[in-house]
Amino acid sequence: MSERLEAKYNLPKEVIFCKRCVMSNQRPTSSIEFKHTAHHKHKTLQIDKEGVCDACRVAEQKEQIDWDQREEQLRRLLDKYRRKDGSYDCIVPGSGGKDSCFAAHILKYKYGMHPLTVTWPPAIYTDIGWRNFRNWIEVCGVDNIAYKPNGRVHRLLTRLAFENLLHPFQPFILGQKNLAPKIAMKFGVPLVFYGENEAEYGNPIADTSTSLRDRSYFTTQSLGDIHIGGVPISELVDRYKLSLNDIQSYLPADYKEFEQTDIEVRYLGYYIKWTPQEAYYYAVEHAGFEANPVRTEGTYSKYNSIDDRIDGFHYYTAFIKFGLGRASHDASQEIRNRHLTREEGVALVHRFDGEFPGQYFREVLQYMEISEERFWELIDKRRSPHLWMKEDGSWKLRRQVL
Amino acid sequence: MNVRVIPRLDIKGPNLVKGIHLEGLRVLGKPERFARLYYEEGADELLYMDVVASLYQRNSLLEIVTRTSREIFIPLTVGGGLRTLDDIHAVLRAGADKVSLNTAAILRPELVREASRRFGSSTIVVSIEAIRKPDGRYEAYTDNGRERTGVDPFNWAIRVTELGAGEIIVTSIDREGTGNGFDLELTRKIAESVPIPVIACGGAGKVADVYEVVTQGKGDAVCLASMLHYNFVKHYDNADDFSEEGNVEYLRTRRGFSKIQDATLPEIKEYLLRHGIAVRLVEEAINA
Amino acid sequence: MPETPWPQRFQVAIVDYGIGNLFSVKHACEQAGIHASITHSCSEILQASAVILPGVGAFGDAMEILGKLDLVSVLRDIAASGKPLVGICLGMQLLMTESHEFGWHRGLGIIEGEVVRLEEAVHGDRVLKVPHVGWNRIATGNATAVQADSCVGWKGSLLEGLSEGEYMYFVHSFYPKPVDANVVLSITRHGPVDFCSSLREGNIFGCQFHPERSGSQGLRVYQNLAFLIQKTQEGDRNVRTAGGKV
Repeated sequence: MSERLEAKYNLPKEVIFCKRCVMSNQRPTSSIEFKHTAHHKHKTLQIDKEGVCDACRVAEQKEQIDWDQREEQLRRLLDKYRRKDGSYDCIVPGSGGKDSCFAAHILKYKYGMHPLTVTWPPAIYTDIGWRNFRNWIEVCGVDNIAYKPNGRVHRLLTRLAFENLLHPFQPFILGQKNLAPKIAMKFGVPLVFYGENEAEYGNPIADTSTSLRDRSYFTTQSLGDIHIGGVPISELVDRYKLSLNDIQSYLPADYKEFEQTDIEVRYLGYYIKWTPQEAYYYAVEHAGFEANPVRTEGTYSKYNSIDDRIDGFHYYTAFIKFGLGRASHDASQEIRNRHLTREEGVALVHRFDGEFPGQYFREVLQYMEISEERFWELIDKRRSPHLWMKEDGSWKLRRQVL
Repeated sequence: MNVRVIPRLDIKGPNLVKGIHLEGLRVLGKPERFARLYYEEGADELLYMDVVASLYQRNSLLEIVTRTSREIFIPLTVGGGLRTLDDIHAVLRAGADKVSLNTAAILRPELVREASRRFGSSTIVVSIEAIRKPDGRYEAYTDNGRERTGVDPFNWAIRVTELGAGEIIVTSIDREGTGNGFDLELTRKIAESVPIPVIACGGAGKVADVYEVVTQGKGDAVCLASMLHYNFVKHYDNADDFSEEGNVEYLRTRRGFSKIQDATLPEIKEYLLRHGIAVRLVEEAINA
Repeated sequence: MPETPWPQRFQVAIVDYGIGNLFSVKHACEQAGIHASITHSCSEILQASAVILPGVGAFGDAMEILGKLDLVSVLRDIAASGKPLVGICLGMQLLMTESHEFGWHRGLGIIEGEVVRLEEAVHGDRVLKVPHVGWNRIATGNATAVQADSCVGWKGSLLEGLSEGEYMYFVHSFYPKPVDANVVLSITRHGPVDFCSSLREGNIFGCQFHPERSGSQGLRVYQNLAFLIQKTQEGDRNVRTAGGKV
């Protein structure tokens, strides 16, 4: 049956769910975003012979790690980099969410480092996102550089990303991933700390053997490779009349230039056991972080990713393309960290996955300058037949997690 | 009339849990141990809430209710996912004295009338969980603080009284677990508009908050969770096996939660007494 | 007098008429060493050494159900038999002649008096609401009966050993007004009203509060019941033995 159904994006034709969490093999692993085109063939989450996904295997390994030893390693690393002359010795990218609150606070106040936090702000702040961002600086107490790209350019790229890739979040991701290393280069700060390794979400396991972040994520050897919003740079310049200066904030650092520095980009999650709920409580206790008292649309969670009004659409478009919504992601992460049983995760996915993020719909349409009909047209075009079917006039997923 | 102090135990599977805004549920230990301590220290009643029940559409507390009512001889109220008269009956058979209804009551208000006629008004407690919106108005929520209803909690409180509810528990979801104090306006408005007892819940961060919600909030009874549970965790060894489920990272560290000035039941009751609020003190607890 | 070991089973029947916190009552009995069974079988109830009539809810409905189950005459027979008959909360109210809850209803008529409504009261700046829910104190109401820390007036009753002013758990909107003041065992204050919170006439005992939910002091009531049953049975045995002697 499934052979006759087309599977877009090179997704596996048969949908298989992990036996431990609620992720499926349709989940794309992190792409190198600036090479992302409309014809991109996604690499997806691997599920092994026992039916367990890579991310759950990483979680398994996490339990075996000697965290005291890892902390020792961290201390030695930090001792090497700690500066006493008043300058910054590390960069912590983030936006004042629970994870960046945790990272910045612990580096500064427990380990005595001198972090500079670096923020690529959301396209459109939510009220609570803005409050948490301010509290990060004021309550947690950190220096911060927020870098805002040209608003008109950002809107255009967001629209292009939505139209070409059904991935409206892409420009944000590009800016965010590329900013910290570039700031490090400009300020001469030798160490950049990200939080969790993406392997915790299912990137190839090999990545967890080191705390170093793979350079290909944030440097490039040639501009010709680069696409933003699915559009090559040459077309952005010729057709959309953008200048190189307009788009430089989205570009990764130059590989050769980066090579000449001795900057290291590492994952703090390699050295400290990252429990999302504990990061949340830590952020509440030390950084004035506030969750929403109401749950986020598309999920049950009240404290994950709550600062950008486009967030909901990021998850919704992923739901359309891969059949996995926000609840699936939140639940899978919590199952791996033993905050939820699989049974509960399944019930939550059935209840909330794919819920339409109606709250900011009008605003986001306006932001992207797209009409509602066009919005749905683009959405429906991107549903892969092997995932979706039409029943009584409405779209339904062929398979849901059980 | 003595003000009742009622520990609230949120239960998920085998564990007592505690969150903030009813979310981010940390495992704090085994419910039976907390229940026993609170009984010995003078709790006036106990409230057990099954926090995943409305998600699964079933209440799973029957075993723990039976065990508790065999050993602990104060009133026990049980809530979470009770949808039908049969559900209520099962929980009462297991040894509960009262039941708490929220989601099912808002979906079908007649249930309150039917249940109070069959089991007695005093057996039926209606739980109202509300959020204060940015414009200052309030809205009731169901499903353990997850689903909007569009229902005004004040009108709803009056309605459930007419339908036969014996008591009302009012929980402020936006205060719950934060330690920022009770929502006095929410509590007071409901307490002053209904003739039945109102139990205040959600937000206690220090002992003075409890006093405030009785005097200014006009609460007839007070429900506490974080303040008591975090105190227990700090002082008692939780050597039980937690391998089944739940985030136990926190327990391994055995610290409190700095947003909450935790306290024991005797400490809270003595404070109230000193400030002129009549409460029932338990001799053994004071002398301990 | 040599210690008599407690008999293996002394059957206490807890009357099951479909309402009430039967299981809490049973658990409290068990804690006191009483073997209790929840039943509405007339023969089982008549054979029991003592009968507990619990209850929560409306008077009229309860009487109707007791009638349907043929238990009205059974309970009156138990009352006349001299066996301990214990009414708890609504169960106690049912023992009375009549009630004014939701109209006028006839009760079992075992104790003369009526059941009337508790009124809402204002106490300082607090409103004392109805139903009366929570812990309140029981008192003898008779100054001369208080000696040391134990009430002489309660000796021999199910309240024996409890102190003046002991806390018990209440949840009710109505209370009994027995015609004979000597029947009143304890009183409790609600606003301006001192109402009868427990009564006793011979082998009949009634309490408005719930001893099975009143902590360790409440359990004392059940322990006293166990002791009373034992004494009654010993008494019977002695009578039989004495009667059998040549």
